[in-house]
Amino acid sequence: MSGRSSNEDFRAMLARMERAGHLCRIKKPIRPEHITALCGKAPAAVICEAVEGYDIPVAGGLYWTRARMASALGWPEGELGARFAASVARPIAPEVVGRAACQDVVLTGDNVDLTALPIPFMHEKDGGPYISAGVAFANDEKLGPNAGCYRMMFRTRRELGLDLFTASDLRRYYQAKFDHNQPLPIAVAIGVHVFEHMAAAYKAPAGLNEMHIAGGLRGEPLQMVRAKTADDVMVPANAEIVLEGELLPNGWTADEGPFGEFAGMQGDLKRNPLFRVTAITHRKNPIFYALQMPWENDWLNGPATEAACARVLGLAGIQVAAVRATEGGCCGWSVVAAIKKRAGEGKNAIAALLSLPVVKQVIVTDDDIDIYNSDEVEWAVTFRCQADKDIVILSGMKGKHVDPSVRPWDLRPGELPTTSKFGIDATIPEGIPAFRYERIVPAFSDDVRVEDYLQ
Amino acid sequence: MTDIAPVVSKIEALLQEPVFFRDVLAALRDCPYRVILRAWSDVRMRHTLARDELGRYWVERM
Repeated sequence: MSGRSSNEDFRAMLARMERAGHLCRIKKPIRPEHITALCGKAPAAVICEAVEGYDIPVAGGLYWTRARMASALGWPEGELGARFAASVARPIAPEVVGRAACQDVVLTGDNVDLTALPIPFMHEKDGGPYISAGVAFANDEKLGPNAGCYRMMFRTRRELGLDLFTASDLRRYYQAKFDHNQPLPIAVAIGVHVFEHMAAAYKAPAGLNEMHIAGGLRGEPLQMVRAKTADDVMVPANAEIVLEGELLPNGWTADEGPFGEFAGMQGDLKRNPLFRVTAITHRKNPIFYALQMPWENDWLNGPATEAACARVLGLAGIQVAAVRATEGGCCGWSVVAAIKKRAGEGKNAIAALLSLPVVKQVIVTDDDIDIYNSDEVEWAVTFRCQADKDIVILSGMKGKHVDPSVRPWDLRPGELPTTSKFGIDATIPEGIPAFRYERIVPAFSDDVRVEDYLQ
Repeated sequence: MTDIAPVVSKIEALLQEPVFFRDVLAALRDCPYRVILRAWSDVRMRHTLARDELGRYWVERM
C-alpha cells in the first residue's frame, strides 16, 4: 500500500514522507542561504519551519535518493520505471475546478514582491537566489497547454530570469510570440505533488499534455484551475504558490546564471528572457519548495529513463529482469540492466541501450545479479567479463553540450557534439556453464538467527 | 524592517570591482536576507550590471 489518499497534494505528500521516516522537521532558525548545505548533509528530506525573516517554511531534498523518490511516489523502489511506463500509457485528462486552494490569497499590483518568498541562494557560484522547483504552465492556440520545469533567477522584486536556452515546447511557444514582439503569458507553480513535477520533467511526445500524464500517474484526474491573470493558462489547484505573469519579448538578452546544474557541475552564464511577475497567488500558510541540485532534479527523470530502457530492450526482443538508472550517472547517463539472456543478447542489450540519446555507459548482467547492489554488479563485471571481448565501444554518437569530455567549447556555433559510448557485457559468456559460477552458501544458514547470538 | 538605503550603498560599493553574488551575501551577513534581496533589486533597477563569464557582477561605468 502506498498510503496515498485521493487527490493528494504537496503538503499531504510531505506528511506521508515524514511518517515513513524520509522527512524531518527543522525547528531551529536557519538563514535561506544555508538551506542547501543543510539539505546536502541531512539524513532525510527537510522542512525548515523557521526560516529567518520569513513566515513561509521551506522544504528540500525530497527526491535526493531512490528511496526518497520511491517514498514520495508511494511506489516500490524496484518498480519506478515499470510503474512510470504503465502510467504514461494511460493518461487521464485534468478536471477543471472553479475554486482552488492555490488562490486562497491573491496578490496583484504593488502587492507583488518576490522578496516576500524565501527564495534561497543555493550554490557558491550561482548568479543569485534561485527558484529551482518551478513548474511553468503555458498555452498555445494551436499546440495546446504545456508544462515544463525551468529554473528562475531572482533579479528584482517583480522580475526573474528564466532559463529558456535549451530546445523545449515552452521555448517554441515563446519564439512564436517573440517573432511578433509579444509577451507570452505563463504561470509558475512552486510546491506541486511529485506526480505533477515528474510529468512536467518528462519529455512527452508532441501533442501530449503533461498534466494528462500526471493524471495517469495519479490514477485519477488532476484538479486544475484557471490562473487569475495569465490568459488561458491553467495551474494545479493545490499548488502551494503560483507566480503569474509574462515572458517578455526581450529575447535571449538578459543575464541569467550560472547555476549548479543537473550534471552536478556549475553551469555557464547565459542570456535568457525575463519573466515579469504580475500576480502571486498562494494557499493559506504556504510551503516553499527548494529543489536541491543535482540529485532531486535527476531523480525526477530517473523513472522515465528506466522506463525508456525497458522499452528499447523489449523492442530488441530481450527479456528484462530489472533496469537501474544510477545516481552517479545522474539517473540517465549510466544504466545497469539485468536480463534473462539468450546467446548474443548481452551485446544486443548494450546496442539497444546506447541508442538512447542520453545513455552513455551501460552494464548488462544476468538476472541472478542484484543490480541495486553495486558490489554484486562489480562482482559480475570482474568474473563474467573479458575486456577484449565484452566491452563494446561506439564512436561518433550524439552527445550533449553539458558533458565537458566532448569539449563543447571547440565546436563551431550551431555545431552539435558527438561522443563515444561504451557498454560492459557482464553476463556469463557463451560456452561457460552456469555451475562455474555457483555461489558459496553458508552452511545451515536457515538455522542461525543473528539475534540469538548478539546482545 | 532594516532601512534599505545603507544596504544599497554597501552593495554599490562592493560592485566597484567584479564580485560573485556569494561575496555580496558574505559581506552583508549581519543584514536580514530579505533586506539584501530588496536592496539587490534596487541596485538592479538603478544600474546596468556587467557580468563576466565566471558570473561575477560589477557596476558598468557610463
